[in-house]
Amino acid sequence: MDLLLQLAATGLVVGSLYALCALGWGLIYGTTLHFHVAHGAVFTLAAYYAYVAQKLLALPLVVAIAVAIIAAALSGILIDLLVYQPLERRGALRTTLFIASLGLLTLIENLLAVVFTPDPLRMDIGWLSGPVQLGPVFLTRLHLVSVATAAAGYFALMAFLKHTRWGQAIRAVSSSPDMARTVGIDLRRAHLLTYAVGSAITAPAGILIAMDVGVEPYRGTTFVLLASVAVIMGGIGSIPGAMLGALFLALLENLGVWKIPSEWQSTISFGVFLVFIVLRPRGIFGRKIQSAEI
Amino acid sequence: MTAGATAAAPIMALQGVARSFGGIRAVDDCSFEVQPGLITGLIGPNGAGKTTVFNLITGFLSAEHGSIQFQGRELLGLPPHEVERLGVVRTFQHLRLWGKMTVLENVLLGCRTPAGESVLSLFLRPGAVRAEEARAHSRAMEVLEIFGLAARAREFAEDLAYPEQKLLSMARIFATDAPVLLLDEPTSGLDGESLQRIMPIVRRLVDHGKTVLLIEHNMDLISELADQVVFLHQGRVLAAGGPAKITRDPALTEIYFGA
Amino acid sequence: MTAYLAHFLVMVAIYSILALSLNLLIGFSGIFSLAHAAIYGIGAYASALAALKLGVGFWGGMAIAAAVGALASALVAIPSLRVAGDYYVVASFGLQVVMLAVFMNWTDLTNGHAGLPGIPRPNLLGWSIDQPFEYVFLAGFFALLTWAICRRLTDSAFGRVLQAIRDDEIAAQAMGKNVVLVKIVVACISSALGATAGSLYAHYITYINPSSFALHESIFIATLVILGGSERLTGPVIGAFVLLAIPEALKFLAIPDAVAAPMRQIIYGALLVLFMLVRPEGILGRARARPR
Repeated sequence: MDLLLQLAATGLVVGSLYALCALGWGLIYGTTLHFHVAHGAVFTLAAYYAYVAQKLLALPLVVAIAVAIIAAALSGILIDLLVYQPLERRGALRTTLFIASLGLLTLIENLLAVVFTPDPLRMDIGWLSGPVQLGPVFLTRLHLVSVATAAAGYFALMAFLKHTRWGQAIRAVSSSPDMARTVGIDLRRAHLLTYAVGSAITAPAGILIAMDVGVEPYRGTTFVLLASVAVIMGGIGSIPGAMLGALFLALLENLGVWKIPSEWQSTISFGVFLVFIVLRPRGIFGRKIQSAEI
Repeated sequence: MTAGATAAAPIMALQGVARSFGGIRAVDDCSFEVQPGLITGLIGPNGAGKTTVFNLITGFLSAEHGSIQFQGRELLGLPPHEVERLGVVRTFQHLRLWGKMTVLENVLLGCRTPAGESVLSLFLRPGAVRAEEARAHSRAMEVLEIFGLAARAREFAEDLAYPEQKLLSMARIFATDAPVLLLDEPTSGLDGESLQRIMPIVRRLVDHGKTVLLIEHNMDLISELADQVVFLHQGRVLAAGGPAKITRDPALTEIYFGA
Repeated sequence: MTAYLAHFLVMVAIYSILALSLNLLIGFSGIFSLAHAAIYGIGAYASALAALKLGVGFWGGMAIAAAVGALASALVAIPSLRVAGDYYVVASFGLQVVMLAVFMNWTDLTNGHAGLPGIPRPNLLGWSIDQPFEYVFLAGFFALLTWAICRRLTDSAFGRVLQAIRDDEIAAQAMGKNVVLVKIVVACISSALGATAGSLYAHYITYINPSSFALHESIFIATLVILGGSERLTGPVIGAFVLLAIPEALKFLAIPDAVAAPMRQIIYGALLVLFMLVRPEGILGRARARPR
């Protein structure tokens, strides 16, 4: 029983990180329909920005994190501005855009590996590494911060989308770009905003896991895959869905370890994904898959 | 050049078809019949649900209620390719031509080439495939002749002038030999001269034995072309009958122009 | 030197098969798969295991490889292509990840990280093919065969349907094409052919281990396809030639091994982005398909 609780707690912590990734990726995908695998690169970059800010610029941890989040948001904007928008202007196929995104992911990850070496780099996290015991469950303070960050991020994003003008513009574009255009929303700006918000909400995940186990160049690929699975299972276009999908996936993987060796975790996630798309392709909360504008 | 409703059974019949988007009933208790061998016009103000009806008939949208009978088969619930196989084809308002393929190739895709499209036949029955392709080629060229596009056969579809693209979109569905043709605004965006070219072609489709259901905004064209007219408004059928009766009905005219 | 050249040519032939088969998906059908390295690996392991554990010869092994590759692909393609292309991308990504886990962790079957040594060389009616130049002919033969198969598929009514699906899937449906079925068939054929490349590889190098079949390999194969040009069949072959020459060039620059691998990936990534921005149809491809 204790073991199960521990696994569930770990699942919650990991799920928080998946959630931040899924929220960001899902927002971008739902609004722009770009299959933005380079989001994994932004996730990774955030960690390196924090590392550089702390270690090379000698900034205090909190400032370093803030700087990193802003830099990550800018990185997301630049990717859309410099790569995706030019492609869209030329009427590129969705696959073309995906290939460019894949190229960016590969390019950025490996550039980081060459510059910083592929070995994990350690950040100073000070008192956050301190242990916390909740009954039979052992966590660190950093883990609690991760869960809190995911919760805060979720509610902040929901509030942003519901109650601010910019958030409503994003929702309009997400539900129908043509309608949004007719009411005067500038699609290009809305996309840039989406990339900024989506990247900013995922950045903490990259930073938090780097603070826990080290800054590495190749982690983003796995995380963006899991984020896309979580979003599809939760339902494209649904923020709560992305959150639930991410938590579900993480709990599945971590509780699965109870019975199945950990190296098969990815197989579990993937198997569940296949079952899901057979039984309920639109996911838990997704809008019904409409035909394109016919 | 007219046809009152014949006593023949309808070739297609919609009964109580309904479909909503969000809270809006795009199509609501829609019922009408299409008589074989005639041109039926589907008219109504913008947003009346005409293209939605086409999407429902051809399987691109699912209906929430109702039924669409075609030659004794139920069309609702079938995917688009099966609706086509049964004998109902459509054009699109935005044409959806394969721009980077030639005019001939666009029409070839309408011809029946089951052997050439089967991987097994491609490798195991090359002779049959070759013969079929030759037949398809001549059929495609015949169709292009009918539509006046034979000279453009080897050009890319995207290089054609707009009126010719509209003709091509009709040519390729004509090549399928399907008995029922749904034309979504075949004359929109055309100027006077092109209209004069296209109208007789639409008329002649019936001479080839086809049944035509067409969405049209131009009331004069409807009076000239259609044998029957169905007036749609807010997803419901308000009236159906001869074009003269409908186009001159003051209440309907007000709805049409007022909406 | 000639042995080295022979080796280079064999690898070009093998990668041509991989690129031609992936091109059926990406170039002709507009479907992107991230699992081609996994398929390559499935072919290699299926063929190797058939030889090592069941005593099946190379020819039988290759047939088994093709069948297993097609089956694995179908398992993933059928549920995901029914929905949308993006689902297939994620599913293929998943297949890639899962197969690597299988290669690395199902140690009873695959020997895990240690890999499978001692795979026998092919045997043609009693004559063992083990001289480098003999293998060039064998691999070259299969590359030509793959090219011919792809040619037959694309230069036909079937090929027309593929292009129609790629350019406007909805119009294809309206014209009576069963788009989902066609995509599934193409995915299975693409995987069957890709798996045969794995079989060739296994019986050539005579030793395989999981690291050859990871995600970066899928990206490499995709780069071959994109670089060479996806609209014409000679494209992937040229792409294979060029991209296999790059690591050799890097060797001349005396770059340390640890950096060489990520450096190659940087080049591939940069090429992908550049080509999409500047010339998505690749080196040889044209902006439009040539009229048939």
